[in-house]
Amino acid sequence: MIKNYFKIALRNLRKNKLYASINIFGLAIGLASCMLIGLYIVKELSYDKFNDKANRIVRVTMEYKMSNEINYAATTGTKVGPEFARTFPKIEEYTRTFISTSNVEYGNKLFNEDRILFADPSFFNIFSFNLLQGNAETILDAPNKIVLTESMAKKYFGDENPINKTITVIGKEMIVSGVSQDCPKNSQIKFDFVTQFLNLGNKVKREQWWSANWITYFLLNTGDDITQFEQQINTYMQTDAIRSQAGLEGESYLNYHMQPLLDVHLKSDLAGFEPNGNMTYIYIFIIISLLILLIASANYTNLATAQSTSRSGEIGMRKVMGASKRQVFIQFISESTTITFIAAVLALLLCVLVLPYFNSITGKAFTKLELLQPISMLLLFLFSVIVSFLAGLYPALVLSGTNVMSVLKKGFRSPGGNGILKKSLIVGQFSISVFLIIYTMVILQQMDFIQNKNLGYNKDHVVVLPISRTMLENFETFKYGLEQISGVQSVTASYETPKFVKWGDGVNVVDENGEHTIDINAMPVDLNFVNTLGMKMVAGRDFIQSDFALMDTTNNSVNYKQPYLINETLAKQIGWSPEEAIGRTIENRASGPVLGVVKDFNFSSLHEPVGPLLMFLGRNFSRNYMVRISDLDVQGTLGNLETLWNERTNGRPFNYHFLDEDYDALYQTEKRSAILFSVAAGLAIILACLGLFGLAAFSIVQRTKEIGIRKVLGANLSNIILLISKNFLVLVTIAIIIASPFAFFATKKWLQNFAYRIEPEWSVFFIPVIVTLLVTFLTVGYHSIRAAMANPIKSLRTE
Amino acid sequence: MIKITDLEKYYKTEELQTIALNKLSFDVKKGEFVAIMGPSGCGKSTLLNILGMLDDSDGGSFIFNGEEVIHYNERKRANIRKHNIGFVFQSFNLIDQLTVFENVELPLIYTGVKKAERKKKVHEVLEKMQIMHRRKHFPQQLSGGQQQRVAVARAVVNNPKLILADEPTGNLDSSNGNEVMDLLTELNKQGTTIIMVTHSEHDAKFSHRIIRMLDGQKVIENSLI
Ligand SMILES: Nc1ncnc2c1ncn2[C@@H]1O[C@H](COP(=O)(O)OP(=O)(O)O)[C@@H](O)[C@H]1O
Ligand SMILES: [Mg+2]
Repeated sequence: MIKNYFKIALRNLRKNKLYASINIFGLAIGLASCMLIGLYIVKELSYDKFNDKANRIVRVTMEYKMSNEINYAATTGTKVGPEFARTFPKIEEYTRTFISTSNVEYGNKLFNEDRILFADPSFFNIFSFNLLQGNAETILDAPNKIVLTESMAKKYFGDENPINKTITVIGKEMIVSGVSQDCPKNSQIKFDFVTQFLNLGNKVKREQWWSANWITYFLLNTGDDITQFEQQINTYMQTDAIRSQAGLEGESYLNYHMQPLLDVHLKSDLAGFEPNGNMTYIYIFIIISLLILLIASANYTNLATAQSTSRSGEIGMRKVMGASKRQVFIQFISESTTITFIAAVLALLLCVLVLPYFNSITGKAFTKLELLQPISMLLLFLFSVIVSFLAGLYPALVLSGTNVMSVLKKGFRSPGGNGILKKSLIVGQFSISVFLIIYTMVILQQMDFIQNKNLGYNKDHVVVLPISRTMLENFETFKYGLEQISGVQSVTASYETPKFVKWGDGVNVVDENGEHTIDINAMPVDLNFVNTLGMKMVAGRDFIQSDFALMDTTNNSVNYKQPYLINETLAKQIGWSPEEAIGRTIENRASGPVLGVVKDFNFSSLHEPVGPLLMFLGRNFSRNYMVRISDLDVQGTLGNLETLWNERTNGRPFNYHFLDEDYDALYQTEKRSAILFSVAAGLAIILACLGLFGLAAFSIVQRTKEIGIRKVLGANLSNIILLISKNFLVLVTIAIIIASPFAFFATKKWLQNFAYRIEPEWSVFFIPVIVTLLVTFLTVGYHSIRAAMANPIKSLRTE
Repeated sequence: MIKITDLEKYYKTEELQTIALNKLSFDVKKGEFVAIMGPSGCGKSTLLNILGMLDDSDGGSFIFNGEEVIHYNERKRANIRKHNIGFVFQSFNLIDQLTVFENVELPLIYTGVKKAERKKKVHEVLEKMQIMHRRKHFPQQLSGGQQQRVAVARAVVNNPKLILADEPTGNLDSSNGNEVMDLLTELNKQGTTIIMVTHSEHDAKFSHRIIRMLDGQKVIENSLI
């Protein structure tokens, strides 16, 4: 019996190809997006789970109140790890961590590496990174030991065994003590090298509550009772001894929270080593894929119901022949099941095809094998069953419920009154589409804004070259060499590039609030910094050669003065106008005069407002040359740079990057969601229009006679097009009215993530509206024009 | 008013050619009431469609109101049709989704008559056809005779000079049929030219002249006055 149903279903599909292909194609897209996003979510939820002790590992976060402001941070001072481990038996091990960039040299190879992890020796005991060589207990037990990943071993050593070889990192010679497998993509800590935390130097040797730049992890004896443990810590932090140690007075406080490792990636607001995934994004993804599936299902419901008119005769006859209501119902459900399962197979194929694109959007690396694993197959099957019923239920109910006599006698009248369900489904589909289109437009405009925002410096045509320790010795001659190359306009050097300054520091100021420290970012720079990066001075001047004379190291440095530049924000926070600042003294590394005030430029992500920044003349800290080149003959200039590089560095690989590309990389997450939303919006509108296309086709079949009559009575082409399109356009307009306010508030909320953001222009609403209406009109218009061109006698003859 | 000469029409279907009209010639004067009779398939409807400018012919001449219209394109023909010709069909061809009033109003909309004027005209003609009380009903709610009266009302609302009726009583019983024939006669008396296809000798008697056709050709023409 069931087999018979499926046979009839297949026959029906073959009979009505347009209807079948719209449904199968639509459902396939819906199912495919659900499946891919399902896969993505499974992966995100698996974050950090590879750690055997994941349930016992916590990340320590800091909460503190200073000058009436409560702050939270994922980073802590150097004291937290050792102090708590000594105090609370619940803590078995601790590790303080920091990821930094450094040039790494081995033989002739020199690269700037940006995933150098500094960690306390217990690191490999706490986390389960697979060691290919070396022993977790001893691998980091001396300051000159370093662990590298498999890929790094290949990069620097090729086929050689790296163990016990010496490489230069952070300017020190280190011995390779182990090789670990590359970090899993779903790990919150991703490193290429690991060395001892204490190698960070003097700033970490002393245990301090403040100067909180480090991420601390604890391995607890059990993962239970964390709330209770936090209470103990809270009590401890409030004891007078600790408060005075931390310099806390009055209302100020310092407290710590234990965040289970598995909650960090998706549930924490505090980014650690990488921007966190976001539970909100996961929810958004789920919603988007379900919406797409819903649109496709709605197409099925609508088309099947519309088609029912022509099926009513068949049903009437079946019932006359003795079919029960239930049997007719099962027949129609098996039809939707057949379609859905054909779609599911197609969906699988689609997934395989788009997997590479999906990987590049999400930045994950899913394999075909993962796609075909039992869990995803089960997921696909479940979705198919649900969709079969969801989409097929209404048509099946309506059709099985038709009264035999009314069908046989009068011909079938469209069910559901005047098609309330159909209309609501269309409105729903287009509301979703319009919402997604508007949202996408806003994201794209904001991304465009970020890309083109005036950062306060010119990031274009700046080549960044890593400086090795040996190169530092010949700094000036190399810089001079660079400056002589034609096409090079000017050269400077600095510790970090201005795309993202992480060096945190403080300056002491004395004002009406007494003496206190202002948290700042600091940046050692070389001559020509302001000029090369195209920044503006609001007062004073850039560093010049003679300023080096101030840094007098003779006579035990008694006359040593450190020359400074500050940004506008720092001047303002200290309470100086730019002009007043010139010549004033700043206390930081050493005291010294402010020589200039630089107009504020963005030196961190645009999610944050510009903070106070201190630049000091510090050639010896230089890690990157920044070379401004002319925009003419970029390739030629790069060639010349390479030639010079090869001459002066004994043939080290020429390893350069462009500052603007580094900057773009900061907004990967946003870029990805922009692509994702574009795709979703595109799919939504395509699917909605496909449905409309099918409906318009049916509607015209139903109205053939009416159109013929109208033409005989004098209707022209535009009358007919309007007649058919009008109803659909009205529905789409309603959808637009419903979706716009939602989109308005949703985008507003999203934009609040950015300190620097666009005010959405009216075009953000206007363009989607026009596009949607136009697309609707074209979709429906195609059929309308065909109907309007047809000879009316033909439609009237069929009596 | 109408003069056709050697009118020809072929239908080609799958290698098979049907001659629907074979060098047909006749003329109809202004104010005449002509009946066209003949067996099924002899080309009556085809002829009416061409006369109504709904279809092309494949040869011959068709002069309408002194104008040769045979080579006119669709737009021009539609324009003449809108303003001069009303149609009545055997199967009424009312639009199910529209009320009686709206059905009758349609031709006026397409000729661009203003709303107030339309209302007046529709009411006038509904009054005349005695279905004013049914103006808010939908076609399915009317009897066959009433539906055909609505169709006639729709055909005449624009004051056409010519009414083409294709078996207007074919779907009606005799009393309803007579009612429709009375209506047509009345219209003819007021000056409207009428060409009517019919199978019924009884109905044909209402006309002035009967043209009998066979295989696309005129066989006999007999005048009744
Ligand atoms: N659209 C068409 N395609 C092919 N043949 C047609 C078409 N319309 C009419 N015919 C043929 O032309 C002939 C005349 O048809 P018609 O004018 O409808 O006859 P009547 O109205 O006298 O019954 C018939 O043989 C019919 O089969
Ligand atoms: Mg006929």
